[in-house]
Amino acid sequence: MQSITHGLLAASLAFLALPVAAQTTASTLEVVKKRGQVVCGVNVGLGGFSLPDSQGKWKGLDVDMCGAIAAAVLGDASKTKFMPLSAQQRFLALQSGEIDVLVRNSTITLERDAGLGIQYAGVNFYDGQGFMVTKKAGVKELKELGGATICVAQGTTHEFNMAGYFRSRNLSIKPVVYESQDLMYEAFFGGRCDAMTQDSSALASALATRGKQADYMVLPELISKEPLGPFVRRGDDQWLAVVRWSLFAMLEGEEKEITQANVDEQAKSNDPLVQRLLGVKAGNGKALGLDEKWAYNIIKQVGNYGESFERNVGMGSPLKLQRGINALWTKGGLMYPLPLR
Amino acid sequence: MRLTRGLLAALAVPLFWPIPASAQSTLDQVRKRGELVCGVDGSAPGFSLLNAVKEWEGLDVELCRAVAAAALGDAQKVKFITVTANERFDRLAAGDFDLLARNSTVTLQRSAGRKVRFAVINFIDGQAFVVPKKLKVEQLANLSGTTICLQKGTTHEFNLASWFKARRLTITPAAYDTTEAMYNAFFASRCSAVTADATTLAGAIIRSGRAIEFMMLPGVISKEPLGPYVREGDSQWLDIVRWTHDAMLEAEERGINPKNIDSLKHELGDPYLRVLLGVDPGNGKALGLSEDWAYNVISQVGNYGDIYERNVGMGSALKFERGVNALWTKGGLMYPLPLR
Repeated sequence: MQSITHGLLAASLAFLALPVAAQTTASTLEVVKKRGQVVCGVNVGLGGFSLPDSQGKWKGLDVDMCGAIAAAVLGDASKTKFMPLSAQQRFLALQSGEIDVLVRNSTITLERDAGLGIQYAGVNFYDGQGFMVTKKAGVKELKELGGATICVAQGTTHEFNMAGYFRSRNLSIKPVVYESQDLMYEAFFGGRCDAMTQDSSALASALATRGKQADYMVLPELISKEPLGPFVRRGDDQWLAVVRWSLFAMLEGEEKEITQANVDEQAKSNDPLVQRLLGVKAGNGKALGLDEKWAYNIIKQVGNYGESFERNVGMGSPLKLQRGINALWTKGGLMYPLPLR
Repeated sequence: MRLTRGLLAALAVPLFWPIPASAQSTLDQVRKRGELVCGVDGSAPGFSLLNAVKEWEGLDVELCRAVAAAALGDAQKVKFITVTANERFDRLAAGDFDLLARNSTVTLQRSAGRKVRFAVINFIDGQAFVVPKKLKVEQLANLSGTTICLQKGTTHEFNLASWFKARRLTITPAAYDTTEAMYNAFFASRCSAVTADATTLAGAIIRSGRAIEFMMLPGVISKEPLGPYVREGDSQWLDIVRWTHDAMLEAEERGINPKNIDSLKHELGDPYLRVLLGVDPGNGKALGLSEDWAYNVISQVGNYGDIYERNVGMGSALKFERGVNALWTKGGLMYPLPLR
C-alpha cells in the first residue's frame, strides 16, 4: 500500500508540476475561445461605465472595453456576459476564475497589482477622488469640510486617501462607512452626511443618473490619483497582452482617426502603421494568438476610444465629462497607445 | 486508497501555486548571487556608457542601480554586460542577465508571443529633427520648402511625408542608404535638417564634436517608447522593475530627493508617504521586498527628474528638454501609478 501510494504520489507530483508550466496552454484565451463568450466582471450599476439600459443592454466605457475584447478574440463584440460585482467581491471573482477580466472602474495600485494574484492590463480612464456637497451648504473648498460627516464606501481606496488628506492638514472628519456604494448614495442623498467621497467620475454619474444637478455639486479639488483599468489573473501573459492591446487598438484608432464609420476606407491606407493595425499587413494578430482582423473588428464593432468616451461619459452622455487628462497625448492628455507594430 | 486521495488533494493545493514563481524566480537568483546583472547598450550617450573614469553612467544604468537598491538594498551591486541590438532579447530569454535596460522600443510584436515582456516605459523617444543653429529655425513647420536628410528604408521617411502633408506643407526628402552617409551629407550642409529618433540624433551630434553648432527642434512626430524588459512568466520580477521606476517618478512628484528624504521620513502625518517610504508596511510585502525598498531607491539613486537632468537633460551633453518625459502635472506623460 505504502509503495503504491508513493508511486502514485510521485506520478501525481510529476503530473501536477507539469501543468503549472503548461498553464499557458489552458490559458484564458483558450477558455474564452472554446466557450465562445467573454465573461466580464463589472460594476453593479455606474452610469457611463457599466449600467444596463431600459432594454437590459449593458452600456458604458467599461462595457465597451469588454466588447472590444470579445471583438478581438471572437470577432463579435456582442459575445459578452456581464457579471455585476460589489467592490468587495470583485478581486475574489477574478482570482477564483469566475470572470475572465475585471472591468469595474477599479483603481490600479501597487498592492493590488503585485499582492493579490492579479495584474492590471492598462489604464482606460484616469480619475481622481472628489467630494460632493449640497449647494446650500455653501462649501467651496475641501478644507471647509473640517469637522464634517463624510459618507464613504467600504473596500475602496477612498477611505485611506481621505484619512490621509485630512490628517496631514490637521483637520478632523467623521467618516461614515457603507457596505456598498448604493447604500452610500442612499445615505448621502437622504441627508445623513455633509459630504460624500468617490471617484469624481462616479460622483458625476450619480448626479446625472439621479437628475440632482440643481441641488448638489462636486467640488473641483481632487485628492488622489485614481487610474482605473482592467485587471486579469497573474501569470497569464497571453491574456494580459490581449486585453492590453485591445485597449491600445482603440486608442491608436483614435490617434490615426480611424472610426467605426471609416474603418473600411482606412483599410486602404498606405500608412504602414494603419496597415499593421487593421491587419492588412499580418503580424500583430499572430503575436497575440488572434485573427489578424482583431483590431479591425474592435474599431468596426465598438469604435475607437474617443467615440466610446464621447457616447458613454463625454459630451454625448448625461455625464458630460471633458476629455481632460483622458485626451490623447497629441491633444494634451495622458493617453499614449504603445506602438502596434 | 481513500487516504491516498486525501493526501493527493492536500498536496495538490500548495503544489499548484507557489512552485514556479518562487523557486526559480529572478529575485531569488539575484539575492543568492548578491548582484544584479543588467544587459545594456554600452555606447549610447545618456543611456549607458562607460565614462572616462571607467564608471557606468546613463538613464538605463541608473534604472539598474535603482532595481539593485530595491532588491538588494545596495545600488552599487550591479554588473553591466553590453549586448547588441540583434541578440538582446534572445540573451535575456536565455538568462544571460536579469534585466535588459538597453534603450529598447516597446512594441506589440516585441511584447506578445515572445519570451520577454516590457516592464515599464522609462523614456519616450520619437522621431525628431536637428538643424544648424545659424538657420534660426525654431519649430518644425518652419522647415517647409527645405531639404531634409534621412535614412532610406526607415519609417522616418513615411512619418516625415505624412506630417508635412497633413499640414499642407512641402519638403524635399534626401534619402541615404546608411546613417553614416546621411550624417555626412547633413554635416556637409546638403540639407537644412536631419531626422531620426531623438536619442540617436543626439548621440551622432555629440560624436561629431560640433554639438555647439546644432540644435534639436522641440517635439517628436512618432512614438518610440523605450523601456526595460524582463523574462516572461516572472510577474514578481516584472513588478519590482515597474514599481521601482514608478517610485522614482513618485519621488519627483512629491519633491523627495536623497537630501531631504530622511527629514521627510520623520514627518509621519501623511499616510501615503508612510506607505511609500515603508514606515507603514504593505508595499514591500506585496513585491516580496523589504519595506524600505523605495527608501533605498530614492536615497541611493534619486528621483526621476534628477536622474533625467544629469543623464539626458540640461546637466548632460544631450541637453534634452523634458517634453513628453515631464511629469503629468507638468505637461508630460510620466504618471506614476499609486504606490499604495
